[in-house]
Amino acid sequence: MTNEDKLNELLKQHGIEMEEDKYSALENIPQKAEGCEKLMEIYYTLKNTVDMEYPYWYNRVWQENDGDITIVRRAKAMAAALSHLTPTIQPYERLVMNKTRNVRGAFPFPWVTASFFNAQAEALMAEADAPAESEADAVSIVGDGGGNVTKSYGNIISIAKKFGMRKEEIPVLVRVSKPWDGNSVEELSNKYAQYTPDYALEQNIMESVLCMFDSYCIPQGREVMNYYLPLQYGWDGIIELCNQRITETMGEADSDGILGMGRGYYYVAMKILAQGMSKWCQNYADRAHYLASIETDPAFKKNYEDIEAVMSHIAHKAPSTFRQALQLTLCCHYGVVNEDPQSGQSIGRLGQVLQPFYEKDIADGITTEEEVIELLEFYRIKITSIECFASAGVTGGVLSGNTFNNLSLGGLNRDGLTAVTPLEYLIIEAGMRCRTTQPTLSILYDEKTPEDFLMKAASCTKLGMGYPAWMNNQDGINFMMLNYGPEGMNLQDARAWCLGGCLESSPGCFLPLNYNGKTYWIPGGAGPTAGSGVHFVGLPKVLELVLTNGYDHRMKRQILPAHNKELDSLETIQNEWVNYLKMIINALNKVNNLQMDIWRKHCMPIVNSLLKPDCFTKGRDLGMMGGRYNATINFESCGTITFINSLASLYKNVFKDKKYTLEEMLDAMLHNFGFKTSYETGVFSPDFREATDLAGKYEQIFADCINAPKFGNADWEADQFLKWYEDTMFDLTRSYESYYGKPLYMCQISVSTHGPQGFVTLADAAGRLAGTTYSDGSVSAAAGTDKNGIYAIFQSATVYDHGTQQNAQMNLKLHPSAVKGIQGTRKLLDIVRSYMRKGGFHVQFNIVDSNTLRAAQAKPENYRDLMVRVAGFTQYWCEIGKPIQDEVIYRTEYDN
Amino acid sequence: MAPKGIIFDVQAFSVHDGPGCRTTIFFAGCPLRCRWCSNPENFALKAHLMFAGRVCKWSSGCRACENKCTHNSLTFNEDGPQVSWDICQECTTFECTQTCAANALRVCGKEYSVEDVMTILRRDFCHWGNDGGVTFSGGDPMLQPQFLKAVLQACKKMQIHTAIETSAYIPQSTFLDIMPLVDFAFIDVKNMDDTQHKAGTGVSNNLILNNIATLKTSRWNGRLVLRTPIIGEYNDSEDNALKTIDFMKENGLYEINLLPFHRLGQTKWEQLGLSYDYATGGDVSTEKMQKLQSIYLDNNILCYLGDKTPF
Repeated sequence: MTNEDKLNELLKQHGIEMEEDKYSALENIPQKAEGCEKLMEIYYTLKNTVDMEYPYWYNRVWQENDGDITIVRRAKAMAAALSHLTPTIQPYERLVMNKTRNVRGAFPFPWVTASFFNAQAEALMAEADAPAESEADAVSIVGDGGGNVTKSYGNIISIAKKFGMRKEEIPVLVRVSKPWDGNSVEELSNKYAQYTPDYALEQNIMESVLCMFDSYCIPQGREVMNYYLPLQYGWDGIIELCNQRITETMGEADSDGILGMGRGYYYVAMKILAQGMSKWCQNYADRAHYLASIETDPAFKKNYEDIEAVMSHIAHKAPSTFRQALQLTLCCHYGVVNEDPQSGQSIGRLGQVLQPFYEKDIADGITTEEEVIELLEFYRIKITSIECFASAGVTGGVLSGNTFNNLSLGGLNRDGLTAVTPLEYLIIEAGMRCRTTQPTLSILYDEKTPEDFLMKAASCTKLGMGYPAWMNNQDGINFMMLNYGPEGMNLQDARAWCLGGCLESSPGCFLPLNYNGKTYWIPGGAGPTAGSGVHFVGLPKVLELVLTNGYDHRMKRQILPAHNKELDSLETIQNEWVNYLKMIINALNKVNNLQMDIWRKHCMPIVNSLLKPDCFTKGRDLGMMGGRYNATINFESCGTITFINSLASLYKNVFKDKKYTLEEMLDAMLHNFGFKTSYETGVFSPDFREATDLAGKYEQIFADCINAPKFGNADWEADQFLKWYEDTMFDLTRSYESYYGKPLYMCQISVSTHGPQGFVTLADAAGRLAGTTYSDGSVSAAAGTDKNGIYAIFQSATVYDHGTQQNAQMNLKLHPSAVKGIQGTRKLLDIVRSYMRKGGFHVQFNIVDSNTLRAAQAKPENYRDLMVRVAGFTQYWCEIGKPIQDEVIYRTEYDN
Repeated sequence: MAPKGIIFDVQAFSVHDGPGCRTTIFFAGCPLRCRWCSNPENFALKAHLMFAGRVCKWSSGCRACENKCTHNSLTFNEDGPQVSWDICQECTTFECTQTCAANALRVCGKEYSVEDVMTILRRDFCHWGNDGGVTFSGGDPMLQPQFLKAVLQACKKMQIHTAIETSAYIPQSTFLDIMPLVDFAFIDVKNMDDTQHKAGTGVSNNLILNNIATLKTSRWNGRLVLRTPIIGEYNDSEDNALKTIDFMKENGLYEINLLPFHRLGQTKWEQLGLSYDYATGGDVSTEKMQKLQSIYLDNNILCYLGDKTPF
């Protein structure tokens, strides 16, 4: 008898419970399916690859249809591009299709942004003509940064420091980009932006990185897919519906003199698209048929035959099995992410959408739980392989290479009862077995969520991949009612919300799926992008400019107009900060509105305009407010807590204790408190300091800044500024209108922008040194400043109502020993639950040993599959930049 | 006047110090001087200086503490600040810590009122879940009995689950006065042999064992778990285990938690200018820990290793 058995026996005698952790002990989790193992090996080996197949066909058909109605022309171009993609099927794959013919493929969208390629045309051609580099160079770079192609090598040209393009495709890139010279969304909107009164100011703001990027960079995403129409009707059914609607609407205004006539064109466009989608599916069926015909291994042959059966069915008809339904949702997902450069195109509550199909298959005995888990594992690999091609700044600086295809679980159904389905348990199980970065999982925590489901989710969080993250369902519903109530949202629709992108609460609705003789109300997205407005304004940088009277000491020029105020009180500083922020938003909002307006006129969503309710009902595309809810455009902030801590220190050291004058404080900041800057040292960790000869002069003020009250310690002296900030921003953001004529609101996620925006910001009054990262998220403590533990952070974070904004972001790092065993799972759930009950919107965990992270930083090649949670998403450690790595390592680790 | 106490740390989400999620409050001051102690900063019942050379930024050019000490204690050489501990142990002003942004020179221990503690506990109460509560640890919280009792009474008024980690090396009347306010107790029994106990901890085990025995015959109905840090060559013998078992059986005790020796506290000894006897030695193999566990289990004692506990 082992000690364990003896102990359990004795415990039983004493009536004490000590359950074994069967669920989240790695050794007890079944291996991923064999095919998934093989596909992950392929994934780890392959590089991000850009090719020109899609853009070539889009461009060709677009040009051929010069003069046609824009929406029809675009639908033709997209249908042609999708249906000409070479269908590739990897051995072992059970779910098929892809963005491009490559596994980790992406492509440029010159119609959205072409200036880079056109400006670089000669250089690119020269690079393509240059002889290949030596093999040795090629090898050294391949091992660097996972799938990123950070430098050119061999016959591969690096684009955006992330993607590789084969040299022979460069001439195609150059040629396809040429026609868009001057009339891509980027260039057209630049042209009209110059008419905005504050254009010069806007240029300053962008050049100083006060704001991180433009709306046209990723015009769609941060929203939730809606799979209802194809699941209900299939492509043939949709084509039939289009025919009916064309007959009903063509030539009729139906009392709408502006948009009424557009309906006919819309349905024509949708019909063309549905035909293209159908053809695209059929191409895969044909490819599978061919592969089956030449395959000699019976197992592979059978696999190809199964794929052919699924693909030829969904090429036309509504799905009649779970596998067909899952494959069809994947097809729609690829269709949408191929419309524009996108991130955050989210899957939504898939386990509720597909439950009817799962339920029937299980009841009919045509599949088993294990088979479904396997399919869901394959699904994870497909979603993980979705890449986004945008500029280097966007891809690395904002996204860290992730595309945030978020899958939400839990929440409430249309009747206000728990929405958890049996299929959702399997989605978590697949996430535990097949541990990949995407889709990241989000639990919509509600008090009505079954405890065993929460325990299952906590068991998964414990494994350390950073998912599922936990979101507060009631906060989400409250935000929906607050933000979309004016558009008529009722409580039922509010319950259909979920996460679009890493953390963007997005509106939804329930639609009646008729299947198997029953009606199921399935949730799905019901609005356009919830994240194209004013992007990532570095709040600490704005404060810096208040203190420097608008002068940027890094760029050595005046960025904002001098305010020339005597900053004699903290209130004055706060007021000037608000004034500057208003000035910034005013300038940015107009330009971003123009970008999005030109996008919707020239590059309107097509696939998404078919899928999103109520576009098809209204006969109107998503850009023209065909969606049910349209107040989705927002203002994104970055560096909240870094900013709050600066205010707290200014208050304490300059105005309350009057230990220093503001001039002395500014002098210390400009001299980086006498330390070398991270630009000089190359180290971005908040902990690293190297003194210069000046250090002695600033040692006392530096210590006082470091020791000033900090957010995250349940200290009102600091936390009061968060309350002030949130209250102020609520009204401020809502005083600006989006291109939909709806008020903006605040989106408080940093994604990865806290790295680059920290980079451009001087030392601050809280003792953060120049160039180091900002605090991540919006309510995470600044690294190393939380001295009173997790409960104190929770207290600080909830000094305002999280239901008033789209999100609030909390990252915590736990040592694995803190949540060991089944008791540990309960304890993890205890902290999640208590934070939710306090009103916290979101919490996510890195459950990893800092020593592991340091080892992985030193030898990334040994940690290819190590994942960490950054600011709302999970990414492979080796694929994120060093400043963000440093920040993750330095976060306080709780290991009590 | 309401009693005040010296506390040197408050730890939230404490998951190995009693049932469920807890807030652990570390009291300053300990009557024992265990040579392997992992919290030596708690020996003294007062605020005192610590110096963590490891995080000191001297080597990257920081000179913030130069000329700050008004007691002629800090001197400097190429390795950085050198502390004259005999002077610093008497310090009450700690000027040198005020410019240290690296937190290398810092004050350990702070005065709290009962209300200060209760403010924290009231804040944390919602986070403990069904099983959790507060744990008073240290040091030995019993060394500040009036303050501890006042805090415990306030906890009971708020219906908070209370746990304690104590050496039980406390006058019996004090011990029995406090324990009725405690729901769950860890008491350390470090060695059954009195001579050995004195050699390892500086005090006799008579009072400790006697307090435990008396507690068990009192009407106290809390849960008592003995705790023994297993130190190689000190208390890792089977003989010591068997004697502990005898003692437990005599007194109707059935739970013990054996903690394997670790050196996580080593740097703290250095930070206090104390010499640490266990820089080498004291290690216990996993096999040895399991062997000891099996002896307890064979004698029908619930024996938990490390953090593998049913709470």
